[in-house]
Amino acid sequence: MQRDKFFREIENVRHPNEKLIKTHCSYCGMQCGMNLRVNTMTNKIIGVEPRYDWPVTVGKMCPKGVTAYQQTNHKDRILRPLIRDDASLKGTKEGFREASWEEAYDLIAKKFTEMQATYGKDTLSVFSGVSMTNEKCYLTGKFARVALGTRYIDYNGRFCMSSAAGGFLRSFGVDRGSTLPWTDIHETDCLFIAGSNTAECHPTSMFRVWHVQERGGYIIVVDPRETPVARRADLHLDLKPGTDLALANGILHLLIENGYADENFIHEHTNGFEETKELVKEFTPEYTSLLTGVAPEKIIKAAEIYGKAPNAVVMFARGIEQQHKGVDNVSAYTNMALVTGKIGRPKSGVATFTGQGNGQGGREHGQKSDLLPGYRKLTNPKHVEEVSKVWGIKPEEMPKPGVSAYEMFELMNDKTIRGLYLLCSNPAVSAPNLNVVRKALKSLDFMVCADFYLSESAEFADVILPSVTWSEDEGTVTNLEGRIIKINKAQEPIGESKPDWQMQVELAERLGRGKYFSHLQTAKDVADEFRFASKGGYADYYGATWDKIDKQDGVFWPCKDENDKGTPHMFLDKKFYHPDGKAKICALPYRPPAEEPCKEYPLRLTTGRVVYHYLSGNQTRRIQFLKDMCPEPYVEVHPETAAKYEMVHDERVRLYTRRGESIYKVKITEAIRKDTVFVPYHFGHEASINLLTIAALDPMSRMPEFKACAAQMQKLEPKKVL
Amino acid sequence: MKKRLYIELENCIGCRSCLAACTQCGGHEQRNRNYVYDVNPHVSRQTMPLMCLHCENPACARSCPAQAIQIHETGAVLSALVEKCIGCQNCTIACPYGIPKFDEEENLMYKCDLCIDRTKDGIPPMCASVCPSNTLQWLTEEEIERKQQQYDLDNGKWVTSMPYLEGATNVKVNLPGILQGTEKLF
Repeated sequence: MQRDKFFREIENVRHPNEKLIKTHCSYCGMQCGMNLRVNTMTNKIIGVEPRYDWPVTVGKMCPKGVTAYQQTNHKDRILRPLIRDDASLKGTKEGFREASWEEAYDLIAKKFTEMQATYGKDTLSVFSGVSMTNEKCYLTGKFARVALGTRYIDYNGRFCMSSAAGGFLRSFGVDRGSTLPWTDIHETDCLFIAGSNTAECHPTSMFRVWHVQERGGYIIVVDPRETPVARRADLHLDLKPGTDLALANGILHLLIENGYADENFIHEHTNGFEETKELVKEFTPEYTSLLTGVAPEKIIKAAEIYGKAPNAVVMFARGIEQQHKGVDNVSAYTNMALVTGKIGRPKSGVATFTGQGNGQGGREHGQKSDLLPGYRKLTNPKHVEEVSKVWGIKPEEMPKPGVSAYEMFELMNDKTIRGLYLLCSNPAVSAPNLNVVRKALKSLDFMVCADFYLSESAEFADVILPSVTWSEDEGTVTNLEGRIIKINKAQEPIGESKPDWQMQVELAERLGRGKYFSHLQTAKDVADEFRFASKGGYADYYGATWDKIDKQDGVFWPCKDENDKGTPHMFLDKKFYHPDGKAKICALPYRPPAEEPCKEYPLRLTTGRVVYHYLSGNQTRRIQFLKDMCPEPYVEVHPETAAKYEMVHDERVRLYTRRGESIYKVKITEAIRKDTVFVPYHFGHEASINLLTIAALDPMSRMPEFKACAAQMQKLEPKKVL
Repeated sequence: MKKRLYIELENCIGCRSCLAACTQCGGHEQRNRNYVYDVNPHVSRQTMPLMCLHCENPACARSCPAQAIQIHETGAVLSALVEKCIGCQNCTIACPYGIPKFDEEENLMYKCDLCIDRTKDGIPPMCASVCPSNTLQWLTEEEIERKQQQYDLDNGKWVTSMPYLEGATNVKVNLPGILQGTEKLF
């Protein structure tokens, strides 16, 4: 099924004494298919072979994917639990000693119990991530609420997908990252891509993206930088960071003004049009240009192309979402599809490029401070009752909603939270305003970190539990299309490492909560309970059995029962998920970034990824090939700006904001706005750009504004020659 | 059906996945054998791969005094035979594209062999298998013919094995500029 023009029947190379385990990449939301090569004599992973028969990516992989297998048997793996007795060494790599699982569990259980007895249940917190299977994400939510009984659980999706989720919920009443399968992308006539460095962050989308142009279609890219996809785009709208809402309103105004609105669709299937039409009236091309810095004729041209296109897909990513109006940006760009009726049919729709491997599934099943499995809400008594029943607890035992990721660090600093169980995330690099975050981690009375490498965040822990890589466990993830896929186990866990779900079951037993967890002895056990827990929620996975996933090349949710094949295209019946079945066109007044440039801080700082690294870099910075290609961060500066500051290429300069500073090598390039500088965020310790970023949070999604703040640069004092 | 490596330079996004994948071919001893260049890094993010073109009459093999560079029946110009290579580096100088690399420690030349372990059985080479942007493709003669017709612009923009390359090559290259002649849908 879904075999398109890029699909080829190709036999894999098979070497003697080797087997191929079909699975997916450990990194981004593309979840490219791959085969891991396993030596049948040593039973170790030794390499990678393309998975030509995976319909989404047909064997293609980026350099992270090609080298992903090198994580498993890497020399930096943590092989046994580590305990640090001297708390004064927190924030360093020093002082850890190896311990048995028994000792580590005993210590954690003792500390957690004592702390909760003294300070109450909510003194503990869980900070999680979505680069792991649905089963693990699901169980982590249950672990926090049933084993620890704390309200404070949240996850790194707050730094990634939460604005997309918020925007889709408001516009459609449902949050599935893409309304259409990726196998439609190359067949559309216009791709409108905002705030996505697609070629570097989701490279295996690119053969489909380029094909749109090869067919005579159009690519429009909105980005302050001329990224590799912007370089070849038909139209590059080079806006000031943090001004997307104005641009989206400006384009919507022209779409309405010039007759591209689909009156019938608007009338039958949406609410909010008249109000929105009124609001966007003031966003003339001239006014929009004034706010965004994009030439009026480019705005007019973009609206014309998108308006005329028989089919079009609006796509976006963290560029528009990591703003303190990220949710509004998502709804504003989604307005374009709703007003023109380019949604709810093949080859047209709206999609976000999911950042993390399981960014979609991981946000649906109860790791978020206010959500329960199946995208149920903690504030809805009926939802609480449904999940309590599955978990075997009384509804009144269910903890209340907590706070978002960054806000948890604030609560650590004021001692509301004194204990932390951290897994699958590295907030000491990836969170904004890191001076505050690192202080919070250091201030904790007791911190546990489960990871397979000693991350920058693990340096703050009292106990480190060795978890497994993705290749040593099995389970499902949900890719950026909303397709549930299967990760397969290629090798036994190395050393004494264990999957996160197993640690949580064993810890729950130590904490006297075994009766809610002890029946979960395999990843499959967790999967079965998880499917059941999601049943009846709108992110319904009940019918997505492992067997069906294998047979169908994945299952798109919602998938309600055994006979349901899943839902590749959303809204084909033009029914949206709000109670009246209509989508919402949103009237969204413009507001500037939280921190605008000023005399003292005249530059706009924006951050992002490079193709060689993933998230905080805890994994990719250890892979030799990737490290060789991009060993350190840099600041991208336009040559005219560099000349003004009298800076030359490769010179080290001080970059600073109101919150922090760091030193970076200057990389001179014309492929960036003159008023903007860019630094990649994958690096730790003093090289982290997040020391400088602002924690201005979106009021709905609680997403920090990573993408825009005010900064200044300074030449370093010349070194004295002795 | 004979397939060839086809390079669509306009598509390159500079991810260097081809280089990472090169190290994964069974016979490549974890060393990558080709190149990706930033065309003009201070100006734009344009990049281009420089792969061995597998010349029909390869200068590297012609220049080898030890006949260490063999040409496979598929047309692939192989890496130096370990037992024959004398480490003179003539090939690295003779190749007009600077493809052969030299291992100082082993005193041995090594170069792209078009993943001969794969391509001898019709399986695409690692670089073209993984290339996320379809810069590197593994195509039949007919598919390449169609590309040539599609992009035959002013009879000269399409440059495969033109005289100013080193004669005819097994790998076909399409220079940047493909979009200039594309007819827009609307």
